[in-house]
Amino acid sequence: MVKGPYIGYILGDLNYRREPGMSEAVDLATVEIELKLDWMNRQGEWQTHAKPGKSGLTLADIQIGSYGETPEISDNMTGRPRGAQARPGSFRIGNYSVRTKNEIWLENASFLYEEALQRQWSSATDVPWHTIEPLPDDIEEAQCELATFLTEVEFVAGDVPARWISETTPDYFEPRNVLLAQVMDEARHMDVFRKRALANGGGLMQATGGTAGVVGSIDLARDFTEMSSRLHISGEGAVLTIFRMGELMAYNDAEKAIYRLCAQDEARHVAFGVMHMRYMSEEAPDRHEEIECYLDEAERQILAGSQNPAGNQTASSEALAILLGGGVAHYDEGFRKLMAIRRRQLVEYMKRVKSAGFGKRFENGRSQVKEMMAVSAA
Amino acid sequence: MAKAKASQAAAESAAGQAGAIDGIPQPKLDWAGRSNQWGTRVKPNAYGLRLGDLNVGIYGEIPDQWQDQTRNPRGAIPRKGVPPLGFAIRDKSDLWAESSGDLYEEAIQRRWAPATDIPWNTLKPLNEGLERAICQVSTELCQYANCDVETITSWQHQMAYGYHEVKQFLATASFDAARQFEAFRKRALSNGGGLGLEGPGQVNRMILESRGGWTEAVTYLFLMRGTFTMTMLRYLERYAHNDAERALYRYTLQDKARQMTYGLEHLQYSIAHQDDMALIMQQLLFIGDRVWAREMKDHVLMEALCVVFAGGISDAGTTGYAIYRQMMGDFMNSYVDTCEWLGVKRQPEMMPNSMTQYLKVN
Repeated sequence: MVKGPYIGYILGDLNYRREPGMSEAVDLATVEIELKLDWMNRQGEWQTHAKPGKSGLTLADIQIGSYGETPEISDNMTGRPRGAQARPGSFRIGNYSVRTKNEIWLENASFLYEEALQRQWSSATDVPWHTIEPLPDDIEEAQCELATFLTEVEFVAGDVPARWISETTPDYFEPRNVLLAQVMDEARHMDVFRKRALANGGGLMQATGGTAGVVGSIDLARDFTEMSSRLHISGEGAVLTIFRMGELMAYNDAEKAIYRLCAQDEARHVAFGVMHMRYMSEEAPDRHEEIECYLDEAERQILAGSQNPAGNQTASSEALAILLGGGVAHYDEGFRKLMAIRRRQLVEYMKRVKSAGFGKRFENGRSQVKEMMAVSAA
Repeated sequence: MAKAKASQAAAESAAGQAGAIDGIPQPKLDWAGRSNQWGTRVKPNAYGLRLGDLNVGIYGEIPDQWQDQTRNPRGAIPRKGVPPLGFAIRDKSDLWAESSGDLYEEAIQRRWAPATDIPWNTLKPLNEGLERAICQVSTELCQYANCDVETITSWQHQMAYGYHEVKQFLATASFDAARQFEAFRKRALSNGGGLGLEGPGQVNRMILESRGGWTEAVTYLFLMRGTFTMTMLRYLERYAHNDAERALYRYTLQDKARQMTYGLEHLQYSIAHQDDMALIMQQLLFIGDRVWAREMKDHVLMEALCVVFAGGISDAGTTGYAIYRQMMGDFMNSYVDTCEWLGVKRQPEMMPNSMTQYLKVN
């Protein structure tokens, strides 16, 4: 139960503002001061009239005049909002390593952010938990294994973006806000799978260590685009395919709702990565080869490795096969479905990479994805 | 370790069934049956299935130290040999607040969207002085929000997974800050004005430079800046000039109140569990007060608030200033009272005069 001096505000009690401590009477017979008001002549562009459209007053609606101009290189080291008048005496407190637009930008960030705000959901009340009924032991155990894995790995996509947010200039607040929404989404994913593991007679199982601090991991990326390629394109892309196939491995409406709602969130995160990479591809051709290297690495490690729940013979992939088949006794049937999902992961990955402007790698023999698909089909 | 019931049967069944078909590997199932506590069945209640409801049995055991350097969920069996991720904050007293899980759920239930939950159509043209003042205040609130974002996100990834409730609550807090940044930018750009002059940033610098630990950051971000922001928002709500602004301040107040609740509860916990934390906070606030006092000498925010409270320039130096002093009095009383409540002794004679002068106002 939440307690404390601010509980009235938390609960939206408007009368709470009458609490002792907020003075009622104002004695007007007090000291008079002369105001300088010099700051009124030191403000940003004036006469801005953003108007709400049919979707309300969105971020896109306030991209007016100089407020809609995003610098290619940000010299804002004081944390001022873009378009505000700078103070010459302000401290350079911004520890921003991301100060070049093409490092983080994407064209539809405003849309993705507003979408995220509108589509927030609650794992406490939007999942019909009462529809969960006892399952056969092998199914429950597989469900708990998968839920343990997802509880463990989902917040890597919260921790890592958070670190980059703190290093991004507020001049690029639109992508930064999308990433903040992602951190929120991932907190919810971490909690919904923990809830699932503890809601039906099972429990958490053994962690996989799938997000360890090793070279090439999402955590240790030294560049934002490198991180995004690992996290959004390959990592979350692979998980998105699994969530989209949730109908096949869900045993009740609660699980269906979980996968459907998580897929909705995950799709935004993947869209961020694809759109950012597309922007980078168009605006920074000199970094093209470098990004190809990130994709090489992602294909080797993340699509095939233990961070992919449908990876090769991991605990979570075995659990998935059991869920897809309908029990241990039908493991072979589940495994075939798992292979179909893995192929679908690869197909969707290719589509995303092509959409981002790096499709040639699938024609010139650089990518290993077609070989991986052949293995899955065998 | 509790053995899951299915494990033995699963292994036997799999050995007999799978692998018999070409190309399909036999499952190892070495994960099966591995649980620290099986048989957990948490049921939803009138509020749904909340994060705090899950704290049953070993899943609710929250140790004073969390040495695991991986993302092992609390209660799961850790895997040995996993290269560490290097979480710096692993002591409960460095981040914990009992209500974190509830505040997290509360934040989700009370979500709002500036685009659609603020009645923007109630904004009407204001006199130019007032509009400029509101835009100036909005600019500074944007900058406060930016400081919240940068501070919280720079600490969040350093927190160990054993205290996932705090990590999750802070995810809501940084998201709230993103919304505050967005909402006040929208206000500044929607009624014929624009953004104002950036704030002096001395307090922002102090908050961002809190390198002594998350508790130090909480001291400056929530106890000091947070108390001031809460007080200012209450006054802005009282003297709002239209329903759009009123709604904006109310929603933001609600968000800030959750952050304040976490912050104060964490400080209370930290003081109760670390011998010299009250003294450390006393030292931090001694320094912080002086930084605060320097920033408050800047006349820009003060004048803008006077104009807003007075409804224009003409009465800003009299009525507006009186209300401003009242607000500062409320802030100072609330700040000092909270310090006392926490057990952090504050002696007014050790505080800058520019702050203590307001203690006499109310």
